[in-house]
Amino acid sequence: MRATLDRIAAIVVKEFRHLGRDPRALLAVVITPVLQLLLFSYAISFDVDHVPTIVVDLDQSTQSREYLRQYQASSFFTVVAEAKTMDAVDSAFDLNQARLAIVIQAGFGQQLASGGQGEVAVLVDGSEPTSARISQAYSVAANQLYNQQLTQQWADAQGLDLSSLGMLEPRVRTWYNPERRSSDFLIPGLMVVIIAIVTVQQTAVTLVRERDLGTEEQLEVSPLRKGELMVAKLLPWTAIAFIDVAVIIGLGRWLFGVPLRGDLGALALGSALFVFAALGLGLLVSAVAPTLDTANILALLIAFLPSFLLSGLAFALDQIPVVLQWLSYAFPARYMVTISRIVFLKGGGFADVWPELVALAAYAAAMIAISTLLYGRRAAR
Amino acid sequence: MSHQQHTERGGLAARFRREAPTTAAESELAISVHGLTKTFGDFTAVDGIDLDVPRGQVFGFLGPNGSGKTTTIRMLTGNLRPQGGRARVLGEDVIRHPDRVQRRIGYMSQKFSLFEDMTVDENLKFYAGVYDLNAEQFARQREYILAMADLNGREDELTRNLSVGWRQRLALGAATIHEPELLFLDEPTSGVDPVARRQFWDLLYELAGRGVTLFVTTHYMDEAAHCNRLAFIYRGRIIAAGSPTEIRAEHFEQRIFAISSADNEAALTWLEHADGISEAYLSGASLRAVVPASSALRPEQLTARLAAAGVPATVSATEPSIEDVFLSLVAQQR
Amino acid sequence: MSLKRIRLLIWKEFTQLRRDPMLIRLLMLMPVLQLILFGYVVAVDVRNLSTAVVDLDHSAISAKLEASFAGSGYFRIVAHPSSESDLRPLLDRGTATVAIVIPEGTQDRLARGETAPIGIVVDGSDSQISAIGSGYASQIIAGFNNDLRDSAGVSLSPPGVDARIRVMFNPTMDPVNTMIPGLIAVIMMISLMAILSQAVVKERESGTLEQMFVTPIRAGEYLIGKVTPYAVLATAQMLVVAVVGMLWFRVPFSGNVWAVLTGLALFMLTNIGMGLFVSLVSRTRQQAQQAMAFLMIPTMILSGFIFPIESMPALIQPLTRLIPMTWALIVLRNSFVKGSDFGPLAVPLLVLAGFALVIFTAAVIATRRRISD
Repeated sequence: MRATLDRIAAIVVKEFRHLGRDPRALLAVVITPVLQLLLFSYAISFDVDHVPTIVVDLDQSTQSREYLRQYQASSFFTVVAEAKTMDAVDSAFDLNQARLAIVIQAGFGQQLASGGQGEVAVLVDGSEPTSARISQAYSVAANQLYNQQLTQQWADAQGLDLSSLGMLEPRVRTWYNPERRSSDFLIPGLMVVIIAIVTVQQTAVTLVRERDLGTEEQLEVSPLRKGELMVAKLLPWTAIAFIDVAVIIGLGRWLFGVPLRGDLGALALGSALFVFAALGLGLLVSAVAPTLDTANILALLIAFLPSFLLSGLAFALDQIPVVLQWLSYAFPARYMVTISRIVFLKGGGFADVWPELVALAAYAAAMIAISTLLYGRRAAR
Repeated sequence: MSHQQHTERGGLAARFRREAPTTAAESELAISVHGLTKTFGDFTAVDGIDLDVPRGQVFGFLGPNGSGKTTTIRMLTGNLRPQGGRARVLGEDVIRHPDRVQRRIGYMSQKFSLFEDMTVDENLKFYAGVYDLNAEQFARQREYILAMADLNGREDELTRNLSVGWRQRLALGAATIHEPELLFLDEPTSGVDPVARRQFWDLLYELAGRGVTLFVTTHYMDEAAHCNRLAFIYRGRIIAAGSPTEIRAEHFEQRIFAISSADNEAALTWLEHADGISEAYLSGASLRAVVPASSALRPEQLTARLAAAGVPATVSATEPSIEDVFLSLVAQQR
Repeated sequence: MSLKRIRLLIWKEFTQLRRDPMLIRLLMLMPVLQLILFGYVVAVDVRNLSTAVVDLDHSAISAKLEASFAGSGYFRIVAHPSSESDLRPLLDRGTATVAIVIPEGTQDRLARGETAPIGIVVDGSDSQISAIGSGYASQIIAGFNNDLRDSAGVSLSPPGVDARIRVMFNPTMDPVNTMIPGLIAVIMMISLMAILSQAVVKERESGTLEQMFVTPIRAGEYLIGKVTPYAVLATAQMLVVAVVGMLWFRVPFSGNVWAVLTGLALFMLTNIGMGLFVSLVSRTRQQAQQAMAFLMIPTMILSGFIFPIESMPALIQPLTRLIPMTWALIVLRNSFVKGSDFGPLAVPLLVLAGFALVIFTAAVIATRRRISD
């Protein structure tokens, strides 16, 4: 046992010295993910607000202006232009200048005054589905509200009492994120994605480079066993990646105000396991790839799109075809995003995330085992 | 030389035939460099060097790795702009008109610069096209190069599958496919076994025999003996220049003893601390001891002293090699 | 510039590409595979939200209410916890993202003509789902209320606004129609940049780059010779991927084919240019690799592919215009979904052309200066 640790320690020291020799690369590896996270956390959001709206009022009556005021007053809608023709509306949509159009035909005021229904066309640009859905829902709600007001006014004028009608009233409660800030949802996920991409690429290249330089052969002659080699190679990078994760969690908490309601210990353990697992994946790639070129490209493919699309960062995973759901479990980012969200937002602890923790540990172990096997087979050839 | 090479000489004498220089311009120096300087940031790679290479000579540019050899070649081939100085190659200002020079020179780098994923034939076809050879010229050159490199029958093999020796010769062929007047060779024999090295130099001699000027950089000191003229470069500066004999005479006044012993290490240790010995070092399988010119030490005396110290050895006086000269020059620089 | 030498360089490049076994797989197979796989992910629509119903009323009304939710297509009932406290673990683990709580005595209250509150709990950690979920839920309840009124025989016709809300361009608001074209662009970008960024570094490492520049080959000739074969391959890729994507996911197209092809071609040129530029200024393959990841991550995040630009802070929005992909997405999405023609697309197309020009100029300068470093 002692000998094993000694051998591992020797390689770890060598790796650190290697790194120390190229300070620029080291800086890039440590600082870049942090910088990226800073920039993107600030930028990304799914919150829909200040929807650019174009208004066409062909009636120009008191009633129409009264109606339009609700849009101008709301922060959800931002009236960017008032036009006179439908052509202007078409053009505004074409050029992406407006996402919503309110068109009031002539005669609106008269219809209302005579006790009828005033027609309004609300046109929603469906090309951005999420905003479109939300805009649509808001418009419906806004109009319902307005109609309730009108009905109340009319009832008062008539002397009617409407309260005798039974109605259901929705009371909405939002759990975990009452202000519904999408950043709280996205940042824990973003952090995972960036680390996943950077770490997988890093290790994938390390071993292949070593092999290309011919030093791998030297190591294979030594009494160092394959498993020890793998573990030793991973440790320095684990340390660096972990530093990154720690910094990013801190930034998320204190700079962006993402609430950390759960157990920091669970998050820390999860992060460590995740980093190990991601690096293990990179290791597998390097063991599989015959050349440096292939390693690079393979690492890219495995790290990049799956991290963005299959981790649960932005696309809900319980809705996608089952086959793809299974595929998502092949990438460590998936587990970590879940842990991240449960701990940050839902106040979870070990009891809540233990399945993911176990999964990550098993994943890392599996990657190392398979890589060891493949390395052995390659050397035997 | 092999029978094959004799036949080549006779059969393709048309290649590289040069008339004797008639005009003053033609008899100019192949390369003329004055005060050439190259810096990378605050590191000076080449520090104001002067060089003159007469036409038709084999010129050796010697120095350890990192001394500025490759940088100099890059400047002379028009691939790197110097910070200062002048350089004329084949009568043209290579700094201002590199393209004019590049048409008339050949270059072989230490990596052998062949396209690994292309066949022998494809490599030749590429370079022939680059230099605008017509079909007839290409056919002629191709025949010659394949024979010279002993690659007949292997034209469709990928160059990455050739061993070093063949690649080396193919690279030489590709570099001279357009029959340049001046050929730059940057460490052309690194990584090649001594037999192949010798054969390669035979090829170079042949080229020189046809009037091609050769500018060769190397860190193998023994190859210096192959050259008409030499220049030593160390840390960006020329520390000696001239023919091998001139350099030896000018820069080396000491005497050299060649020493071989059963226990070289012990002998070396003793020599390093011995009186009257300026320097001692390992050279190949034997030792060299440098003694000041003024010393009257005789080989037999040294033998006796060594024996007395418990290190029996044979000592003989010998001529300084280029390596000895270079090492002492470098020692003087420090 | 010698056309003959350019042709020679193109011939050399094709010869080498033919011998690269990974290339076809990378350029054609992988992108198509990725498109199909990930297409399903990005096309996910917010429907069938997993819903838990806590029915404390056990009345006909509550059953009817639950039925309207289940029948709406937006909610998928997955659990019937018997109390609110049983609800917590379901949402904690994410088994349910929405919950309807029908309190005890709802039917009685309605019968007495009172207002009966209905609890709607949404998992706020995913703000999209929570916003949409609560929106749908409110709509369903409003519809339920209307039905109640109608069946109660009360006819009211107060004056009101009849707002006809119509969704133009992509009326089903199906993400497929905008995400698949976007995914096509993303996949093209990744594969091209990956391949190109290695292209020149390979030659620098093997020394053939230096060798070529000692010959009469000029920087411009070299670049054209390098770019052309890749451009040809990339065009083939673009057509294959786009056609497969459109057919497989049945994405409707009503725009101008030439406008889209022009946009994609220009976008492809910018990617080739950027990959080449990275390749030219990198000393080692690893540097090239890192530089590429560095460029691609912001592109994924800030171009509007996943996260809408409109939702970004005002300071960031101008930055997004510096990313070629942003403009490519505008061309693609507008063409597919809005059926835009050259007119409205003029600006993004010109911008893309400008990018391509700038990037290639930078590449030429980099070639001239850095070949022999």
